[in-house]
Amino acid sequence: MRSGVRWLLLPVLLLPVGWLLFANIGVDPRTIPSRVVGKALPTFSLPTLDGTTLTDADLVGRPAVINFWASWCGPCVDEHPVLLDAAQRLGGEVQLVGVVYQDSPERAAAWLRRYGDGGWPDAVDDGSLAIDFGVTGPPETYFVDADGIIRDRVVGPVSTRAMAEGLAAIGVDAS
Amino acid sequence: MRAWVGPLAVAAVLALGGILAVAAITGPRAEPVAQTLAAELRCPDCQALSVAESRTAAANAIRAEISAQLAAGRTADEVRQHFVDRYGSWILLRPASPLAWLLPLLAIAASVGVLGLWLLRRRPAPVTEPAQVDDETRRRLAREAESLDG
Repeated sequence: MRSGVRWLLLPVLLLPVGWLLFANIGVDPRTIPSRVVGKALPTFSLPTLDGTTLTDADLVGRPAVINFWASWCGPCVDEHPVLLDAAQRLGGEVQLVGVVYQDSPERAAAWLRRYGDGGWPDAVDDGSLAIDFGVTGPPETYFVDADGIIRDRVVGPVSTRAMAEGLAAIGVDAS
Repeated sequence: MRAWVGPLAVAAVLALGGILAVAAITGPRAEPVAQTLAAELRCPDCQALSVAESRTAAANAIRAEISAQLAAGRTADEVRQHFVDRYGSWILLRPASPLAWLLPLLAIAASVGVLGLWLLRRRPAPVTEPAQVDDETRRRLAREAESLDG
């Protein structure tokens, strides 16, 4: 009987350890799961670099890609060609939107002149929109479907493959 | 008379410095609730720093958001939840669930318990009695020993 209790203890001790090990297989430990994926686009109204105003209502009705970037962000330079390529290939099918993160409009505009202005609106954030998206640092890219629901997030520079996966999540075929 | 001017000026400067120091210490401070919340939240773009400790633009934005939320009448719990809803529980520097604190203690207690049980139940090796040798065998062995010696 006592021996039976001892053998019962073994799974009690091993199961939680096994669960901890196997539950996280395939999870990238460097990325933190986003809490806003699956939620509606937050309400916002921000000035843009070209002097207009961008609101959340402007993004509803068409799939959108929202990219948080800054002129001081090195990886933003690496990903910029991917964004330019997506804008050129997809045209009006997707709305690309930049959000200038912790930066001055002057430096952001100078950066665009240097690396290429894709022609999409760039909103200047005072920090509140980054909080609403749970941004941990640029670059971060969010994929929003036509109903205004955030469907995917890419932390770090967006690759061609990540762009295709993100677009697929919002119903856009990038192939 | 002129001999007093120097020490008097030094005394005046020291007194002014003291007054300024006291004013700095007792002057207006950030409200305690906002300060406590800022200390509980992780700065998103720092390494192991709270929002209260960091001076990055992201930390400044979060501090401003905390103050705005509190000014709008939200409770500390609601403000904390506001950030957890956006960043996840990662934003909290201390785990919200008391289980996270209890679990290591429970694991240590269980380990000590299991080890103690194992030590208590470990049986000593059985003591074996020396084999009984009867007189006849003893005499035979003595004879054999003598024959070997001879």
